Amino acid sequence: MPAARNLRMIELIHLGRAFTRGDGQSVQAVDDVSLIIPEGQFVCLIGASGCGKSTLLQMIAGLLEPSAGSTVVAGEEVAGPGRERGMIFQKDSVFPWMKVIDNVEYGLKCRNVPPQQRRELARAYVRRVGLAHVENAWPRELSGGMLKRVAIAAVFANGSPVLLLDEPFAALDYVTRHHLHDVLLDLWEEPGKTVPRTVLFVTHDVDEALTLADRIVVLHDGRVVDDLAVAALRPRTTDSLLLPEMVAIKHTLLAHLGLEQAAKKPAAAGAAA
Amino acid sequence: MVTGGASTAPAVAALQARGAVKRRRSWLAVLLAAIDPMRLAGAALFVAIWQAITYVLPPVILPTPLGVLRRAGADFWSAPALSFYGVAHADLYENLMYTAENVVVAVLIGTAIGVATGLVSARFSLFRAVLDPVVMTAGTVPILIAAPFLLIWFGATRASAVSLVTFYVIVILYIFAQRAATNLDPIFEQYARTFGATKGAMVRDILVPATVPEILGGFRIALAGAWGLEAISELLGSQSGIGKVLEVLAGATDAQGIMACLLLLGVTAIVADALAALVIARVTAWSASAR
Amino acid sequence: MTALQLRLDHLVSLLVFLALAGVWQILSVIYTAEAQPGEPMVAGWQVLFTKTFLSLADYWQGGFGVPAVAEGAERSYLAALLSVLAHSINTIGRLVLGLALGGGVGLLLGLAMSWSPWSRRLVDLPIQFLRGLPLLAMVPLFQLWFGIRYTGEVLFVAYGIGVIFFAGTVNAVRNVPQIYIDNARSFGASRAMLYRTVILPAIFPAMRSTILLSLGAGWGAVLGAEYLGAQSGLGYVIVYAQEFAFLDRMFLIALLFIFYTSVSYWAISRLSVRLLAWAPPSQRQ
Repeated sequence: MPAARNLRMIELIHLGRAFTRGDGQSVQAVDDVSLIIPEGQFVCLIGASGCGKSTLLQMIAGLLEPSAGSTVVAGEEVAGPGRERGMIFQKDSVFPWMKVIDNVEYGLKCRNVPPQQRRELARAYVRRVGLAHVENAWPRELSGGMLKRVAIAAVFANGSPVLLLDEPFAALDYVTRHHLHDVLLDLWEEPGKTVPRTVLFVTHDVDEALTLADRIVVLHDGRVVDDLAVAALRPRTTDSLLLPEMVAIKHTLLAHLGLEQAAKKPAAAGAAA
Repeated sequence: MVTGGASTAPAVAALQARGAVKRRRSWLAVLLAAIDPMRLAGAALFVAIWQAITYVLPPVILPTPLGVLRRAGADFWSAPALSFYGVAHADLYENLMYTAENVVVAVLIGTAIGVATGLVSARFSLFRAVLDPVVMTAGTVPILIAAPFLLIWFGATRASAVSLVTFYVIVILYIFAQRAATNLDPIFEQYARTFGATKGAMVRDILVPATVPEILGGFRIALAGAWGLEAISELLGSQSGIGKVLEVLAGATDAQGIMACLLLLGVTAIVADALAALVIARVTAWSASAR
Repeated sequence: MTALQLRLDHLVSLLVFLALAGVWQILSVIYTAEAQPGEPMVAGWQVLFTKTFLSLADYWQGGFGVPAVAEGAERSYLAALLSVLAHSINTIGRLVLGLALGGGVGLLLGLAMSWSPWSRRLVDLPIQFLRGLPLLAMVPLFQLWFGIRYTGEVLFVAYGIGVIFFAGTVNAVRNVPQIYIDNARSFGASRAMLYRTVILPAIFPAMRSTILLSLGAGWGAVLGAEYLGAQSGLGYVIVYAQEFAFLDRMFLIALLFIFYTSVSYWAISRLSVRLLAWAPPSQRQ
């Protein structure tokens, strides 16, 4: 891609976060994580549950204060949530008291975009995610997969250059999840845009990461333990996942998650905790 | 019956195990909340504002916090002035006990009747069809409307106050028990049935224990409301009780005495609620919805 | 629940009330004891809607060209009707004014105190204490402060409702799911925007029960104030009639009062169902 890309779109600098548990003990959820993500990269953060990946994402989103280090996005230090970082949550975050179209418009409304203009923009994205027929429905009338489509449309309509997704599809069934991968990638590789948006996608699903990511970062006990490039061409199909290099990455990831004995010695993981 | 009882135990045990973890955390939270300096500062600020207003208003209207506290202490064991006004007991303690006894008796009777009818109504639709309209109407009408009638039927006696509070408690617990039983996930009763539980065993092992947390939630609400109802019933006609004392002091425009009574009554109500909460937390340790 | 089932339930309710009315009528024939000479303990419907209703003219204080019975006038149905209307308006006025004042102030203070977790903790103990104080026992205190003035009774009702609203609002704001707040913030919503577009709508389902609770407390407070000292209103008429053991008058007024409270609940339910069109049915109950 010839366009000028910001090679340091997201910078995590010795980022750390400690929690105090109910019994008074301190737990290091994120421990000294440093990472540089260039503009336009689709990064999956993977790790077993409790490894600190959601905490990390919350800090980048500005919803959680770090206890050490800092985050710089597009040259500015993160001090709180901001519209340049759109977020999609695992739980349903769509406002139940607003109709679909109003939910998609919400970010634009926060920025005082004129009503006519924001409605048009929101409509376009509602159509892109395939919800044109329910734009005036209440969220309660929608299925879980449709609610996710609303959340995706809202975030893209808001035009955030950075997208943070916290296990967005974890609660969905296999088929719906795959449909939503297509919706997400379709919007991500927007034609006419030279540089796609920067995406940080938290997941614990190895196949999901392999399907979506340019790069997979593995977290364990709050630390980055691996950083893998995924070079396979897009669009990726079932066959793509069977390419020898993909299978090799999958083995590595499974080993990191403790599902294969090969690469990792469990004793080392125990000592780190 | 016996096998049914034994075999439904897993369902209940599973519920119990799930809630045990939650309880410990909540107790810690309660403890932390109690010694939270911000909360204590809030209480201090409240008293300070009260004290500040007393500099502006005359003591006949607003007595000082300390004055009210002293008065409550002084009159607690002996308040001879009360006997001149025809109050049967010339101290606050005995009047408070009279009120408390009535509340406790009424709440216990009302709970027994309300829970029994509420649970039955949830499982027998004919019973429900007949009782629901009456209880739901009674639930929307302030039960206080019945007080003057009870005064005529029973006179200014204990019975009149107790029956007023009892009605009130019945209505609340009927609604809570019925709702708890209706909302109970049928999976538990189906599960018990797969073990061959009898109807009686299901009531004993599923329906009653599973609805207890919500019912006890209603119990606390009923208890909280009972104090005011009992007091006003005594205000309307009685020879004893804190309500009677309030009536006498109101006649004497004794703001300090009124506030001392209200303070004691309020503290009694809060302590009773805290005690109930404590017992409930023990009984329903497995549940997340109690509290 | 199907429409048929619902219709059937309504029919059964109606039948139950009709049966109760019938039992009352039968009781009036069988049980002829009198609270006072000429004042039956149980008055039949034919008595209630004629003689009893006419006797309510006694509580008309005169005006609109219809003289009061106390001034030597004959009892008339017009005076009885005016009397019922006047006392009803007084009672409902106390409730509505108290509800508006207490609800408004309670809600605003609750929202203001929920602004930060600091202020929320600051008001926690005082509000718990005030909630613990039995409201109905406080009638004498308000009388001492405001006498038997209308304002005093309105303020008493407003206080009772205000405390419930305040505590209800603080609690509801605390229980707004964090995910909605996080979501709004990630879209860049300002604090004011957050309150307007997220907090207010999100607390509404929880506030519904607060409103219903305060409505009940409000009616109770109105009655309490009218039983003890107020010189007008349905509660005043009931207690005044009680002193002479006019059970039939008390019964008629009590029925009227029950009618008003039922209508008020029905109206609030209808209104909130409309405002909660977005919520799943379980939250609208």
